[in-house]
Amino acid sequence: MGVSKRVEINALYGGLMSIVLDQLIRWYGNQAIVDQVSLEVADGELFVLLGASGSGKSTVLRLIAGLIQPDAGRIVVHGRDVTAVPPQQRNMGFVFQNYSIFRHMTVAQNIEFGLKIRKVLASERARRRDELLDLVGLVGLGNRYAHQLSGGQQQRVALARALAYEPKVLLLDEPFGALDVKIRAQLRRTLKEIQRRLQITAILVTHDQEEAFELADRIGVIERGKLLEVGAPETLYAYPRTAFTATFLGTATVLVGRVDDGHACFGSLQLPLPLDSTIDYEDGDRVQILVRPEQVVLSITEPKTHVPVIGRGTIVEQSFAGDRRRLRLRLPHLPGVRQIAPVAPFGEEGLLVDTVVPTDVPLAGEAIWVSLRAWHMLKPPPRRLLLYDPAANTSVTPVLTRWLAEKLDATVTVLGIAATNEGIDPVGTMLQRYLDAADLPAELHLRVGDAEQHIITEQTESLYDLLVLGCGESTSTVATGQAPDVRMIERIARGAITPILLVKGSRTQLTRILICTAAGEPGKNDVRTGGRLARRFGAMVTILHVSHPVRGVSLLANAHLERAAATLRALDVTNTIQIYPSSTPAEGILHVAGTGDYDLIVIGNHGPITPALFGGSDVTRQVITHAPCSVLIVPDDAL
Amino acid sequence: MSSMSRPNRSAGNRRGSAGAVAQPSPWLPVGMLIVVLLPLLLMPLAAVFIFAFRGGVGAFIAALLIPDAQFALRFSLLIAFATAFLNGLIGTFAAYVLSRYRFPGERPLNIVVNLPVAIPTVVVGTSLLLLWGPIGLLGRWLDPLGLQPMFTPFGVLLAHLFVTFPYMLSTIKPLLDELETTYEEAAYTIGASRWQTFWYVTLPALRGGIFTGALLTFAHSLGEFGATVLVSGNLRLRTQTAPLYIFAQFEAGNIAAANAVAAVLAALSFVIFFFLLRYTGNGR
Repeated sequence: MGVSKRVEINALYGGLMSIVLDQLIRWYGNQAIVDQVSLEVADGELFVLLGASGSGKSTVLRLIAGLIQPDAGRIVVHGRDVTAVPPQQRNMGFVFQNYSIFRHMTVAQNIEFGLKIRKVLASERARRRDELLDLVGLVGLGNRYAHQLSGGQQQRVALARALAYEPKVLLLDEPFGALDVKIRAQLRRTLKEIQRRLQITAILVTHDQEEAFELADRIGVIERGKLLEVGAPETLYAYPRTAFTATFLGTATVLVGRVDDGHACFGSLQLPLPLDSTIDYEDGDRVQILVRPEQVVLSITEPKTHVPVIGRGTIVEQSFAGDRRRLRLRLPHLPGVRQIAPVAPFGEEGLLVDTVVPTDVPLAGEAIWVSLRAWHMLKPPPRRLLLYDPAANTSVTPVLTRWLAEKLDATVTVLGIAATNEGIDPVGTMLQRYLDAADLPAELHLRVGDAEQHIITEQTESLYDLLVLGCGESTSTVATGQAPDVRMIERIARGAITPILLVKGSRTQLTRILICTAAGEPGKNDVRTGGRLARRFGAMVTILHVSHPVRGVSLLANAHLERAAATLRALDVTNTIQIYPSSTPAEGILHVAGTGDYDLIVIGNHGPITPALFGGSDVTRQVITHAPCSVLIVPDDAL
Repeated sequence: MSSMSRPNRSAGNRRGSAGAVAQPSPWLPVGMLIVVLLPLLLMPLAAVFIFAFRGGVGAFIAALLIPDAQFALRFSLLIAFATAFLNGLIGTFAAYVLSRYRFPGERPLNIVVNLPVAIPTVVVGTSLLLLWGPIGLLGRWLDPLGLQPMFTPFGVLLAHLFVTFPYMLSTIKPLLDELETTYEEAAYTIGASRWQTFWYVTLPALRGGIFTGALLTFAHSLGEFGATVLVSGNLRLRTQTAPLYIFAQFEAGNIAAANAVAAVLAALSFVIFFFLLRYTGNGR
């Protein structure tokens, strides 16, 4: 593969690309701090790698410089593979955040160092040194030592030193990070000017988005070692693909709604879905919308009917920024809408929207209408499964999860809970072995403390599409968390916005599904969620209605069953309706499930209202406890 | 001591102006401290010189002109120079390796190289004898070849290298640990090889530390007694260092001879100490 790929890359970019990174990987312990980073930087381009601290951005730069070696992947500079070339021979200039000016040398000696190493004649060195001192604006300071210079001046020396031997590539690792704002702005201008004048390819690493906007020809956003998006500053700002980029670059309001009837729905607000043929939107899919501050319209009077209105809100925060004023408004909560950004303070229920107005606009004291001038729909995130299997000894749960991940095209996160900090490592090792045994690729999340709390936190933080709970008995000495009992499952389900799959029995594929509409007023969500999964699984569905042994099937229930069957037909799911008379719904469900050889029971989470309706015999609880096969609990109002 | 009393006084003024308790006079505690230190430190320091010159300058010079005394002083200086030089090299190298490389067994090695400060010097002498002596582990194989490191100047050097090893290391390693690797990395990206980087970048940054470490090593070597007395055999005009000479003369009752050399040693130590203060106190 190596040879053919090299030819390909050279043929494609040979003359145009200064730097090509090809699937770079660097491990730190068992974590990839640089995770399959591929990137092409054009000749004379100033590329900015933007990421939070710990995102792996500096590591990428150090890999390019050759200061560390990648564990996999290749680095091609001007068509030459330099992956195995030592830093001395890469001919790159590197500027460090801490300047790293050699303290026992004068400014001039520092600048000449690279030339001296290359055995350049003293007269030539002096000529070049004067040129560079002029270039970076330090004429007359050649005889000073580092401790006689300000931070900004030291960084100018570092820049001159890195440029002295005319490197092909200039790498800058947070070069302005340690400087104060004013000096930083000056130096940015100097750098941009020099880079333009010399036409040198440069990669700059920073965590400062303003710096990235100001300097970059293109920006690459990096997070957890992965290069998420690459693009021109304005493109990335206006049309990011991921919520991370949207919120990392500039101020953003990001909301999550659901697709319904071919529209993106945020409460009562319906917006058209983007005309993107590569994305297959299904009803019930999550959609994320990005609204920039300048896309929000505020008005005292109600906007015209065709204008998309989010609601009426009040100003909760404002900050003065000279020529403009940043505002944060709180609006009533929209049903079914989750907020990603701005991050709501704990206990905040309303919807927060960030906007900006010119300073001379008077602020109204009363409620303000908030509507949208423009917006951007983010790319739907990949589906994600959260697996919690404290027993971690049966092969059923991981094998089934692998099957689910394949069918749903989803990534898997495994949650391991240790009682104490010391327990983290054994739990991690144990889970890794467990995953390896089932050949299940997954991300490990190890936590200390209370399993229930962590599960609830995980699913509210990261937005999973399905929570898989292993209910097997543990025989192992190392528990990877508390076993989920019925009460715990109920408590998790109460706050859940995602369906919960309880893995029971021995089935590792789900091809016969029983959707229960036993509660009389079956949420259409049970049917929809069950139906969508059945379509993905290629499963056959039976819609079960447990009827009253004396009163029989009500008209309402009949109508509902018809609608349910129609919904499933619309999803191309083979289905049959079964009506079974029984004195209690739970008994009926369990009987049918037991005799019908089903793999999965789909049941609504009817929560605390059920005991009142059924005189204390909680259907969900009964089914969870006694089901012979796996159970899918669909939240009451699946969003 | 004046530096001690100054901040006290200013604190007293502040408190006084606030109308609180007046700061007590510093002279009582300072006086007490001097009374305590007098027999412990100050008088012994003075005694060396007082006794050395008690018989007059002539007697002092005469005592120094004795060939044995001359040899002991020269031998001590030579050994101290050699020790400082060799441990300067080995210690810097050890510090570089221990600071820049990560390897299994690094921690135990770190402890072992610092161990000599903790071991009584007499024990060091004994173990060297047991190793290199005529019936020692290695010595018994060397003896038939006519090689006999113990009771020779070389044996003294071995003992001094051992005893003073940690001083160089412990002054340089912290400097290297603090010297961010970015300086070396900057040199690499500029094009300097590992060796060029060490020579042009790392070593110059350690200059002050190397000087300090060498002075410390020199001073400790100059005064070494416990290990030397065992491995040297205390042979006059052959392996007798200045401290051994002082001890021998004292035992023989030649107080004046002993004191004269002691005074020279003390003066040398003061000079070294003065340099150390200048270098470590004022920074570089």
